[in-house]
Amino acid sequence: METVLQITANGLMLGGLYAMISVGLTLIFGITRVINFAHGEFLMVGMYIVYLITTQLGVHPYASLLLVVPALFVMGALTQKLVIERLRNSDEHVQIFATVGLSIALINLALLIFGADIANTPSSGLRHSVGVGTVGVLTGQLVIFFSSIVLVVGLHLLLTRTRPGRAIRATAQNRAAARLMGINVSRVYVLTFGLGAACVGVAATLVAPLYPASPTIGTYFVLIAFVVVVMGGLGSITGAFIAALVIGLVDAFAGYYLGSDLKEVAVFGIFLLVLIFRPSGLFGARRNLSHVSP
Amino acid sequence: MSTRTLSLPRNRDGWRAPAALAGVLAALFVLPVVIDDAFVYHIFITICIFAGLSTAWNIVGGYAGQLSLGHAAFYGIGAYVGMMLVNAGVTPWLGMFAGGGVAAVVAVAISYPCFRLHGPFFALASIAFLEVFRVLALHFSDVTGGATGMMVPLETGWMWMIFQDRLPSLIIAFGLMLLTLLVAWGLRQHRWGFYLVATRERESAARSAGIGTVKMRLLAVAISAALTAMLGTFHAMYLTFIEPGSVFSLTFSIQIAMFALIGGIGTVFGPLVGTILLVPVTELARGWLGAEAVGLHGFVYGSVLVIAVLFMPDGLMSVLSRFFGAGKTARDEDAAGTPPAPTRTQAQRAPIGDVVLQAEHLDKHFGGLHVTNDVSLTLRKGEVLGVIGPNGAGKTTVFNMLSGFLKPDSGRVSIRGADGHFHSPASPGDFARLQLGRTFQIVQPFAAMTVEENIMVGAFHRHPAVADARRSAREIAHRMGLARYLDDEARGLPIGGLKRLEIARVMAMEPRVLLLDEVMAGINRADLQEAIELVRTIRDSGVSIIAIEHVMQAIMSLSDRVIVINSGEVIAEGAPEDVVRQEAVIEAYLGKESIDAAAQ
Repeated sequence: METVLQITANGLMLGGLYAMISVGLTLIFGITRVINFAHGEFLMVGMYIVYLITTQLGVHPYASLLLVVPALFVMGALTQKLVIERLRNSDEHVQIFATVGLSIALINLALLIFGADIANTPSSGLRHSVGVGTVGVLTGQLVIFFSSIVLVVGLHLLLTRTRPGRAIRATAQNRAAARLMGINVSRVYVLTFGLGAACVGVAATLVAPLYPASPTIGTYFVLIAFVVVVMGGLGSITGAFIAALVIGLVDAFAGYYLGSDLKEVAVFGIFLLVLIFRPSGLFGARRNLSHVSP
Repeated sequence: MSTRTLSLPRNRDGWRAPAALAGVLAALFVLPVVIDDAFVYHIFITICIFAGLSTAWNIVGGYAGQLSLGHAAFYGIGAYVGMMLVNAGVTPWLGMFAGGGVAAVVAVAISYPCFRLHGPFFALASIAFLEVFRVLALHFSDVTGGATGMMVPLETGWMWMIFQDRLPSLIIAFGLMLLTLLVAWGLRQHRWGFYLVATRERESAARSAGIGTVKMRLLAVAISAALTAMLGTFHAMYLTFIEPGSVFSLTFSIQIAMFALIGGIGTVFGPLVGTILLVPVTELARGWLGAEAVGLHGFVYGSVLVIAVLFMPDGLMSVLSRFFGAGKTARDEDAAGTPPAPTRTQAQRAPIGDVVLQAEHLDKHFGGLHVTNDVSLTLRKGEVLGVIGPNGAGKTTVFNMLSGFLKPDSGRVSIRGADGHFHSPASPGDFARLQLGRTFQIVQPFAAMTVEENIMVGAFHRHPAVADARRSAREIAHRMGLARYLDDEARGLPIGGLKRLEIARVMAMEPRVLLLDEVMAGINRADLQEAIELVRTIRDSGVSIIAIEHVMQAIMSLSDRVIVINSGEVIAEGAPEDVVRQEAVIEAYLGKESIDAAAQ
């Protein structure tokens, strides 16, 4: 029983982490309809920035939020402005390869600069265990879990209650109509891409003290993020949050009962089943089905 | 998908393209032999292997347009099956085919459920499958050796594909590459290649032309996977060592796809060109800088990829074909001449015959909406049946049921086959086989194919051989006034041309029953008369026609009989001039007030 509780706690913590990383991806996809294959590398870049700031300046990792978030926002906005924007009318495969190319370039750039070794951000007490009875989690994990809730609620409010948020949603619904309503569509896309990347910046800051940065760290997380985004219903932020918790639990339980090497089979197995049988996602309405044939 | 020339420019008396190709292929073999340096050998062997892999990938990723980023799975299957058999004492010459067979079966099994997925989602699914394979290969270490990998037993000679010298490896790599190129080229020339590209461009139009779209894609996947696996077996022997991380690698998959993209995705020789260009650059970078600068070659790869899609999205082949196509002569046959107007054959119109198509009590619901309510209709041989009704009345839904695109909730459609018996087909392909052709209200050209190729897709239905289909397509293009566009890509046609192309493709199927969905809509007055004449000609050749139309002039002059559909029900039926006077019909079109107004 205690084991099950502990695994559940671990699963939820992982879920929070996955949610944190996935919201940006689903936001970008939901609005611009572009799957950003370089999403994981945004995370990687963010983590290296946190690593550099904390080791060079000796500040608390969370303090680097002030720099990482704007930096990632700019990075996302530039990606949209310089690459995606130019390919808006191109074929899907061209858009896919553009972000895939960006991903390869960033991974190898990190390899060039930092080498293949891992880079440990100081944990600053975030790896202390807290808990009730025998069930314990790390403080850093708790922070991530609650921050992910704040981030999801915050994004939701931003999209539903503010003027730019409405412009973003209107653009997602119908680009042409939004333009007729006086919305600067390409600025909305740049803003959205920046926002999505900024979310990854938040994730990177909170993740860095717990996981060492490495050039390929993004690859693992981005695959999970894709699973979460598809399962949650493409573009649905709350759907992604719930899906992230589900995947976190699957990950934790499969890791315990199947062994850590086979847990990925469970996660990707679920992903494939969802893609094949419920392409609209477990929680998505049947609206985002542009990616499947009837 | 975007502009891409589908093969080397068809330059009738051109020798430059084939000569260049032969020169490049010869150089791939001769250069390393002449230079006779181990490193140069290695680079050329690598080029041959990657050119083969990329060409094989292109059959699925390019021809069929299914963007697989998990092709390393098939490569890995070939490598592992070959390696295991070698360790069990079986020569890789057999292992290669075993691996190819296993890969083809696996490819069909995993692709079948994924074909509904488009673009990035197919790519994601293929990545997920690749990851599963990698994890499984790591896990079942007693079979695969797990993370420690597998070695070949050190026996050399042709029997084991392992050599002290480099030359034999080059011969095998070169031979496999030639085989792959030959298969890819042959497939593109074959009817199946047209089917694949047509399916990629417009799935519904392809299905209405009788193409088994799923079957074609599975065929492409099986061929591509088998070739990839065969190359994988050889590569494993060449490297003498494999492990899951390097074999089932996402980076490797991306590389294969990337060569094709940069060379020209969907073209026959683009992957070869892309590989020849990129492999030496990166291998040299790896050789010279690898030790000091880990990641530099990857950084170059990534950057080249981004720059290439930004500035050369159609790949090198489109640049090359512009060069090779420069000497292209104009079409000799009536190249510049105006299209001959379709002349009506003055032959007597045959009397209207027996029933050829019958729809009984068709019912269809979309959610809570009753879109078709008990619709029955019959069509007789040589007859033109007009279908009119306001927008949203359910006319196109009826068409979709008459052509197999929608299955009615209840009711039945039967067609008299050439054998004289009635059949109840189920799929668009079955309808097409009974020689029912249809057009789409929104034209559905195969945009990246030429006008000739578009019509050929229909013509294959009656003429399976490419040469016959081409002849038939040209003849129809002349009849339809499309002759001067034959070599143009369909995407460039004006709307009138697209409408004609839509009919031409269907006519090429030599249908006995023809469903025309608003073919007159949106064409100008001058063309309208021509279009009406055209439909008459088709009718006089014995084809039975059902036409949905809003253009009253066309309906009145063409139809032998008209049915009126409103809110999913047939509200009137009869001779055109009678039907349009009926109150219910006027009411349906114009509202009740207009009848009252007319009565005053």
